[in-house]
Amino acid sequence: MALYSHPRNTRVLVVSLVMVSLLTITIDYRGGNSGPFEVAGKGALSVVGAMQSGVSHILRPIGAFFSGLAHVGSLQSENRALKQQVQQLKQQQGRTVSLERRNAELASLLKVEQSLRLEGVGASVIGYSVGNFEWSVTINRGSTSKVRTNDAVVSGDGLVGHVILVAPTTSVVQLIIDPNSAVAGRLSSSGETGLIRGQRDQDLTMDLVSADAKIFPNEQVVTSGYQGGLYPPEILIGQVSHTYQQPGGLTKEIAVRPAVDFSSLEFVFVVTGR
Amino acid sequence: MRRVWSWTVVVLTALVLQSTIFAQITLGGAKPELVYLVTIILAFLEGPSSGALAGFFGGMAQDFLLNQPKGITALTLTLVGYAVGTMRQYITTPSPLLPVALVGGATTSGVLFYGIVNSLLGTSVGLFYLIRIAILSGVYNAVLTPFLFPVIRRVAEASRANRVFRL
Repeated sequence: MALYSHPRNTRVLVVSLVMVSLLTITIDYRGGNSGPFEVAGKGALSVVGAMQSGVSHILRPIGAFFSGLAHVGSLQSENRALKQQVQQLKQQQGRTVSLERRNAELASLLKVEQSLRLEGVGASVIGYSVGNFEWSVTINRGSTSKVRTNDAVVSGDGLVGHVILVAPTTSVVQLIIDPNSAVAGRLSSSGETGLIRGQRDQDLTMDLVSADAKIFPNEQVVTSGYQGGLYPPEILIGQVSHTYQQPGGLTKEIAVRPAVDFSSLEFVFVVTGR
Repeated sequence: MRRVWSWTVVVLTALVLQSTIFAQITLGGAKPELVYLVTIILAFLEGPSSGALAGFFGGMAQDFLLNQPKGITALTLTLVGYAVGTMRQYITTPSPLLPVALVGGATTSGVLFYGIVNSLLGTSVGLFYLIRIAILSGVYNAVLTPFLFPVIRRVAEASRANRVFRL
């Protein structure tokens, strides 16, 4: 370090480091996702992914304990709400069974192909994004398990996101709450389609819905899954939580509460073929 | 050479902790920015040139784990390391709270700078979200400083002693 102890040398050092940073930003910005730094990104992911996998095995219970502590106050009210929900669901169950039977009959009648039969691999979440401005998770499956970029990722509750970076044994999944994520969605009852964008820790927004569309509170929103789209059709995204309409506006904007709880995501399913 | 290795281990540990355990123990939704914390404490102990170098390499490591234009964290932390190291030479207070205040303030300014550069490059950052996260991650880093400062100082002293020994 003696080389840089002189103030003038320090300034030269800092200016050159700043120049290198700016050069990196420029090259990466122009190259997009497949720029020359992609390989380095995959390398970094492999190294850190292996460490994350070890750490999350050991530390997950500790993290769960602390996040449980933080939520103790809300657990009681949650318990009460859940008991009410159980009652409601019991009532609904009777209706659902008959609906299901009718649905099965109609499906066989129309010879509708089962579009939800998905092929893929299960994976566990081993880490989250290192930054505060990006919403992604690292999973323990990569190209050796046939995971590819742009594969859709779902969980038992609904749509999670899509794969953006693949290393041999780990990959990164961009969550649908990331502001860069956009999913084509459809309202389950009216069939209206719209683009669903991530809003960080807020509810998702769905726009491009025509202003005269009828929207029910708590209506389910699913992926629209047009031919060749990123996501398979009919996967639950969330529920309508709020509707906004500018007076005289041509479109409505809807807030959608995601079905997946992204703060406690543990197991996901990567759709590798449909 | 040992110096490089020990700081590589420190930065990698910071990145792994930040993306696993601290991603679940957030402060109002904000993770701590541990690489910022390491850079600031190192600059505080070793001066502007070490601060800038540590910031550059630590920032690059973090950049390559993000799906955002690479180099922004490196740029931010080079400047943060240099600024903290330079400021340190003019502050004479013996208060033990100085590192805590310095880490908090420099983290908040650094995150704000990062967010502004990022939004200039077309990433939607969200002004209110940015301000909230900058303040919260600054507070989080300041809270962690009393625990991590001694660790980082030990690494700094160990690698410094090695250098003196060789001479």
